[in-house]
Amino acid sequence: MKSAFAYQPRPWPLQSASPGAAIAYLGAIVAVAFLYSNPLVLVAAGAAAVAAGLLAGARRAVVVALEMGLVLALLIVVVNALVVSRGETVLARLGEWPLLGQVDVTLEAVVAGASGGLRAAVAMIAAAVYSACVDPDRVLRVLRPLAGRSALTATLVSRLVPVAAADAGRLRDAARLRGPGAAEVGKAPLARRLLAGSLDRAVDVAATLELRGYSLDAPRARNRRDRSRYDRRFYAVAATVLVAAIAGKALGADDFQTYPAVEIGFGPATVALSALVALSGLAPLKRRGVSTFSRIGRQSRHPGVARV
Amino acid sequence: MSELAIRRGAAPALAVQGLGYAYPHASAPALADVSLEVAPGEFVLLAGRSASGKSTLLKAACGLVPHFHGGEIEGEVRVADLDAIAAGPGELAAAVGYLAQDPETQVVSTTVAAEIELPLEMRGDEPADRARAVEEVALALAIPHLLDRTVDTLSGGELQRVALAAALVTRPRLILLDEPTSQLDPVAGDELIWLLRRLNEEWGVAVLLAEHRLERCLAAADRVVAMAGGRIAFDGVPKDFLAWSQTADPVLETPAARLFSLAGIDPLPTGVREARQTLRGMGITHPPNRSSRRVSDPHPSDPVLEAKNLWVELDRGEDLRDVLKGIDLTIRRGERVALMGRNGAGKSTLLRTAAGLHAAVAGKVEVDSIALLTQNPGDYLVRERVGDELPGDEGLAALRVVGLEEKVDADPRDLSGGERQRLALAIALAGRMEGELLPGMVALDEPTRGMDRARKGELVALIRRLAEQGDLVADRSTKPPCGAGVVVATHDVEFAAEFAERVVLLGDGVVVADGPAEEILSGGWYFATEVARVLDLPGVVTPERGAAALAGEGAP
Repeated sequence: MKSAFAYQPRPWPLQSASPGAAIAYLGAIVAVAFLYSNPLVLVAAGAAAVAAGLLAGARRAVVVALEMGLVLALLIVVVNALVVSRGETVLARLGEWPLLGQVDVTLEAVVAGASGGLRAAVAMIAAAVYSACVDPDRVLRVLRPLAGRSALTATLVSRLVPVAAADAGRLRDAARLRGPGAAEVGKAPLARRLLAGSLDRAVDVAATLELRGYSLDAPRARNRRDRSRYDRRFYAVAATVLVAAIAGKALGADDFQTYPAVEIGFGPATVALSALVALSGLAPLKRRGVSTFSRIGRQSRHPGVARV
Repeated sequence: MSELAIRRGAAPALAVQGLGYAYPHASAPALADVSLEVAPGEFVLLAGRSASGKSTLLKAACGLVPHFHGGEIEGEVRVADLDAIAAGPGELAAAVGYLAQDPETQVVSTTVAAEIELPLEMRGDEPADRARAVEEVALALAIPHLLDRTVDTLSGGELQRVALAAALVTRPRLILLDEPTSQLDPVAGDELIWLLRRLNEEWGVAVLLAEHRLERCLAAADRVVAMAGGRIAFDGVPKDFLAWSQTADPVLETPAARLFSLAGIDPLPTGVREARQTLRGMGITHPPNRSSRRVSDPHPSDPVLEAKNLWVELDRGEDLRDVLKGIDLTIRRGERVALMGRNGAGKSTLLRTAAGLHAAVAGKVEVDSIALLTQNPGDYLVRERVGDELPGDEGLAALRVVGLEEKVDADPRDLSGGERQRLALAIALAGRMEGELLPGMVALDEPTRGMDRARKGELVALIRRLAEQGDLVADRSTKPPCGAGVVVATHDVEFAAEFAERVVLLGDGVVVADGPAEEILSGGWYFATEVARVLDLPGVVTPERGAAALAGEGAP
């Protein structure tokens, strides 16, 4: 089964956008999550990431990332609640614990943990949307002139990870199909076999790269202007969100305090910033029914280059 | 002057002189004193048994040998006037394209368009030139609709075409292909061969094609080079090759040639068209073909698999898809069944569902225990000694059944392809070859990939043994025969004609034909043997039966 996070080409704005525009847009949402601790802003950033993913057709990636993000957030809440005993509102006294000493679960520690967990969840959802919507080949093409060896390594890894996952699935199936008289297969032999198989695969892929001329010292090809008509929209939204986030920070929009007592600010700046960040999730919305585009025909696979 | 003679006058696309090569740590050389020239625009078929040196020769022609594999090399290899031994695969990439057997390891990008464009990008071509070349090669290979797809959503046949496009996009003078049809169904395999012929004729690209299923490509070739033991054993036109193979190595004979030689007809045909023309010239007519029909079950034994209205849904990368759509099927003890159909028709899914690896979403399948050998026998081999895979008496018994008891101390990686397959089968059967434990059904998924005809013959014998002998390790004289039902998913129609008594043909998840092998394999075009296509006689699928039929029609 294909990973939920695997890139899937779709003729929608986020997928059509150049890697730079898509990364700027999703990066702006993540930047807000790391700049702010206020739960309202964080929820708005999470909503924006979810909306962006859904509007880009990456529903599976969003759902799986949400599940994983919420589990991670819960873990952070629990750990923070057990480790940090600061705060005025004690919810439970759990007595002496080995290593941790006296454990008091406070409302403030739970809220602080929830804020951190929410931040991690937002980053995870945005990363999932990036993975499912941004073409890794185009990203590598951008990186290749800057760092050839790193791009080669990334190419090998990006190809070998799904192949190794498929190999692992087949090895597990074969282990289940062994007769009762055959030696049992534990996890260690399977892992060794998978590693050996991956090395063989890596050699094959490296041979293919060699045959494609990867080792040539030929002058690097100029990259075409990898733009789409949606780029300006994503750059504009990213810039607006970042400027607003920095300005909001200066104007006190991140009004949030956990210790000694929880204080969450819901001032006009916070509410306005949250609304703006949440609305930024609509950037991948595709406009429909624009007749001029239908007359022109479908968008070129190679933007900036005439089709022949 | 013939066209080929004119081509031969130009600088050769490939010139090999006195080539000898040994892989690192190998006890014997893989190539010895090989000399060969391929003229520009020539289509050369490279024939030979497994391990005869075909793949190594192709790797030497594209520079992977010795640059990538190491080892010791002597002699000279020139590709389009480049010294291949000095240059290496990167520099040769513009002059030669290479396509290996497994397309899975030949794609390195995420999307098809990026994969095809990569060699041009590495060469430093301008964006506009790259866009044009990608578009043109996609049109030539009929894959423009795939350009925006990710490679992990493609079928085996589609992936093979994409890899071919990436090899051809630089417009090389020579294309090297190592058994490119081994994983393709008959339809996709035939399409690929004729596509190569068209590119060869229209683009003038020279083709050096290594293949085991010679009947598929002999008619398309200008010339045949046969290898044996790392040396060139024959080099000549297809007709002379057929005459040579009759005496020198009958394993390389095509079914149509064997049919003619058994019937005493000359000249031996290189393909179906030529065979039919010869027969027409002799005044041999054909009765009209009959469509296949369902027949009553010839095996009154117990059912070992019963599928009733079986529906199976799988995630094929984009969405959930019904792969099996209401299959009704019964397999009985002792039956030898070939499960056939296009890539993606549902053959493997049916076997995997029977083995419990997939769950039905509707309907049911009941199986009286199954030993399944999946497509990659290497997946069963996880230890470094054969005896460690199959310990104790049960293990030894399993090795004996597949004829590998002598290899108990060998490393599975050192076994030949056929031996590895038999070892994997022994692992699947181990401990259940007697009495109650005997599997009701033995299923093999595409077991003949990369096998020559001699090895296929060994596999046919093993399949017959599994179907005929119930208790594989006991004394047969004391027990009645009560074998397993053997089901083999295969694209290889000639192999199916050899082993199967019944053929089940799947099409897009449904059973489209089910009947005796002779009837099904002579009742169509793609899923028909070469003999059936030549003679068009219902029920005649093998050269032996064909020769007998021709004798009845008055052939010499």
